[in-house]
Amino acid sequence: MQFEDPFENIDEFERELRKSLERQPAPPSLKRKVMEQRWHERAQARSNRTTARQRTRMIWLERIAASLVVASVAGSALAGHYAIERRKGEEAKQQVFTALRITNHAFQVMNRQLQERDKNSQ
Amino acid sequence: MTESWQPDFEKLPDFERLFDEHQSMVFSLALRMTGDRGLAEEIAQDVFMELDRHIAKIESAQHAICWLRRVTISRSTDALRRRRVRGIDQWVAIDESHGAREPESGSPLGGRIEALLATLPEAQRAAIILRYQEDLTPEEIAATLGAPLATVKSQLQRGLKLLRAKVESQLKEYIRAV
Repeated sequence: MQFEDPFENIDEFERELRKSLERQPAPPSLKRKVMEQRWHERAQARSNRTTARQRTRMIWLERIAASLVVASVAGSALAGHYAIERRKGEEAKQQVFTALRITNHAFQVMNRQLQERDKNSQ
Repeated sequence: MTESWQPDFEKLPDFERLFDEHQSMVFSLALRMTGDRGLAEEIAQDVFMELDRHIAKIESAQHAICWLRRVTISRSTDALRRRRVRGIDQWVAIDESHGAREPESGSPLGGRIEALLATLPEAQRAAIILRYQEDLTPEEIAATLGAPLATVKSQLQRGLKLLRAKVESQLKEYIRAV
């Protein structure tokens, strides 16, 4: 049996090829699957965003609390230091006053002795 | 139909509209590339999820179409490569009885051409599908595949020649059997 070329020319073959490669409708389940997956991904993304926001908030709260602790410790140390310095100053002042009182007393005694010596010599 | 799509800037990008308009194109491209309806559906699903994630970067209807074609071909090629790596080659040899892959619609010859198309090398298959399913020019195919124009023209020419030879050989055997 003699084989006859079904495609007289390349155009006919291309026409047949184009016809056989017409677009096919997508299965109806595709849309449902895509929409469901999309919904899940969105929900997951929302959940991740919320978790990330909460984590960020917690980090900031921890930082603020740590800063407050450090500030209060530093403040207490500074206040303590000032109190010690003030106390030392008060003590030094009292010592100076005591020294002045002693000196004053010594001068008064000397003055009295000199006056008595002057009376005796006269 | 897709060419008349007018961008509505208030709604752009509208994922659902893009899906409705292009689901057939994406599914058909994946189906012709892989020859497997289940795998084609999975690929189409992945492609549309990818579109959803990148929809802010889509600038126009034409950009969406080009993007979908490129990503679908690329995903299909990746899926076929993964299958080959796993040792599952889905391209079963065409049954000598000519009854293995009956077309779902259209002429028996059309179904046979479609089945034989699946036996072509991937690059030639992609070029032929884009040329005859999507009606793209070689320049548009080159832009879609990111390949040089000369390469695309050569793939089209060699693919057509090979496909034609395969179809003729099948028909000869069929006629002899009858």
